[in-house]
Amino acid sequence: MATKALVTKVWIDPGCIVCDACETTCPEVFEVQHDNETCIIRPEALDAEFNKPLTESIIEAAEECPVDVIKFDTVEVDAADVPAAPKPAAAPAAGAADASEPATAAAKASPEKPASKVAAPPKPKVVDPAIQALLAATTVRGGHAVINQGIQDLPDSIKHMSKLSPDKLPPDARHQKVLQKSSPKKDETSRRDFVVLGALTVGWGSVAAAGGVSTLAFARFMAPNVLEVEDPKVRCGSLAKYLAMAPGEVNEDYKPVKPSGFWIVREEERIAAVSIICTHLGCIPSWLPNDRKFKCPCHGSGFKPNGVNFEGPAPRPLERFKIYLDGDDVIVDRSKKFLAMGPNDTAKWNDPEASIPV
Amino acid sequence: MTTSIHSVFAAAESGISDTIKDTLNALSVPEYFVSITVVLLIIGLLTYRQWTRPMVAVTLSLLFIAFYVWSALDENFFKIITKPDNIPITMMIVFTALVTWVAFRQAAINDARLEKGEPLIESGADDKVLVWPDLVYTELIAMVLCTVVLVVWAIVLKAPLEPPANPTNIPNPSKAPWYFLGLQELLVYFDPWIAGVLLPSLIIVGLIALPFIDKNPRGNGYYTFKQRPFVISTFMFGWMIMWIVLIVLGTFLRGPNWNIFGPYETWDPHRPAALLNINISDVFWVITPDWLGFEWWKPGLPTKAALGGYMPAFLIREAPGIVLLSGYFFVLPVLLAKTIFRKIYHEIGFTRFCVFWLLMSWMFIVPIKMVLRWMFNLKYFVAVTEYFVNI
Repeated sequence: MATKALVTKVWIDPGCIVCDACETTCPEVFEVQHDNETCIIRPEALDAEFNKPLTESIIEAAEECPVDVIKFDTVEVDAADVPAAPKPAAAPAAGAADASEPATAAAKASPEKPASKVAAPPKPKVVDPAIQALLAATTVRGGHAVINQGIQDLPDSIKHMSKLSPDKLPPDARHQKVLQKSSPKKDETSRRDFVVLGALTVGWGSVAAAGGVSTLAFARFMAPNVLEVEDPKVRCGSLAKYLAMAPGEVNEDYKPVKPSGFWIVREEERIAAVSIICTHLGCIPSWLPNDRKFKCPCHGSGFKPNGVNFEGPAPRPLERFKIYLDGDDVIVDRSKKFLAMGPNDTAKWNDPEASIPV
Repeated sequence: MTTSIHSVFAAAESGISDTIKDTLNALSVPEYFVSITVVLLIIGLLTYRQWTRPMVAVTLSLLFIAFYVWSALDENFFKIITKPDNIPITMMIVFTALVTWVAFRQAAINDARLEKGEPLIESGADDKVLVWPDLVYTELIAMVLCTVVLVVWAIVLKAPLEPPANPTNIPNPSKAPWYFLGLQELLVYFDPWIAGVLLPSLIIVGLIALPFIDKNPRGNGYYTFKQRPFVISTFMFGWMIMWIVLIVLGTFLRGPNWNIFGPYETWDPHRPAALLNINISDVFWVITPDWLGFEWWKPGLPTKAALGGYMPAFLIREAPGIVLLSGYFFVLPVLLAKTIFRKIYHEIGFTRFCVFWLLMSWMFIVPIKMVLRWMFNLKYFVAVTEYFVNI
């Protein structure tokens, strides 16, 4: 029994050059939109029954398309059941089947459309050669795809494709999007729109609320639980104690003082208070009296007795606190710091508040 | 008589083992240690068909176990490996060796088969695996075993809460958890924002970006080394040397005051170790003029802004380092793309090559700087301490 191929689904691959040819041939289905620089399928033509009577002109439009981006699916039906069409002429089954292939392959595979009225016997569904090549070259084992060795027997074109990297392969024609233009019926959809909008608002609103609350909770978490009200000034006893130190000696008595400890160091001509925080990452160095240096146990930064960095990764010398005399008492005020920006850049330490001259 | 023979034997034995320990301690200086591991890695990659043979691999692992047990007889080494924090290190060494062997063994087999034109191990049999029972059973058993191991581990090895932090009593050395020791090692050479933020982010982002840079489908889903020698060698360098070896270095060789100690040396916090670190700017502005005897060059480091104050002093001071680094980051890739990376450049294109070089340059600046620190005491290429930009 003779069968006939009828178009059920039409779509347009990327690459349209907006040329009007298809709309001229088949205005029922195609609409060229110069503003959008593309050609679309009219919404009515998304229906298979709408397309069937238009089979002839759709196929004609597909063949006329200069860049061959019009693709369609067909269904085989008895010739007797064919609904009345404007021009019941030759049903090009071969052309229809080939149309689902990429343009290049189609050109090779079907040189001429059969002219006879008898449709060609139904072909097996032609798979995209790219997919075919990948499938042929691949076996799936243990969850991953493997390039197989058994591709020697396949045609050269497929062998060639299996060597290409996936993004060089022609696009799979079956998975291209159809640009749809919907003409919503205002009255019916406005209520649905309202409901959807409401649901979206509630949904995203709760997401935003949850995010906001957790951000606040995080901010609260990051805020210190304890309010530091300790006096930044520390009374360190009489000056005589420090005058008795030899130059280069370090007094460690105030290392544990909270919130930030310090060493009192005796330089050649002055006494200074040196912070115990390593300028690299904030560890606390140890004073090694035998080596006459501060040495950080975390990354090995080393500082001379006056706090100048000389080894390891610390970029700057140890910081110094304000130090002054109150009568005979030495006071260290940790609210004011004197920063040296490098081993050779210690000018700030010459500030009269940074040390007590001896 | 017998006692004296025994004592002679004992003396000879301890003499030999002391000699070995002294040699190993001497080789533990980081420049030697890392160089030796790099050489071992290269040899391992070149001879992957030999050492992955089961008999050779078993012999090697037996030798390693013998070495490890013999090392554990040493008091100092024993202290390191029995510290609860360090138990995972031994496991890490064993498991790293195991998975590396598994991968390279299959790569060796596959490469041999490819040469003969035989099918790969991965191809052939239809091996769909059923979720139930195959997968679920495997997962169940793995879950039970993991739970048992963790429970036993938690009971046997104590991990007590220590007293609150006290600035007068700081652990020396203060070490990060074992898996971060590689990163902590980086902190010795780089600023915190590089070693602690930039480099880890680059590792993560880089690993994510790999499949987008490397478009070559060879090696997808099957083991091979011969088809992808460059890619696998680069990865093995980053993984083995820049991660595993640095963890081992941090565990076994870093002692009090973050000094380098041999694995059999006593951790003496008062052992003197002098490290005078210098910047490139010091070398350029101070040391080289001194060495060349330029009497007229007095000022040392430039301290004055130029161009009417528009060019701050630190830019002039750090110019040598800035030139060096710009060459490394921006000129070297151009030269490489024209010469030895020519093929890669044409395969992957401009954008991918830029990302590729970004990752490669940061991976290789780490060992470059480490070697310069160890051998020439280099501190920073560019040291703008004024703005915390030190590279």
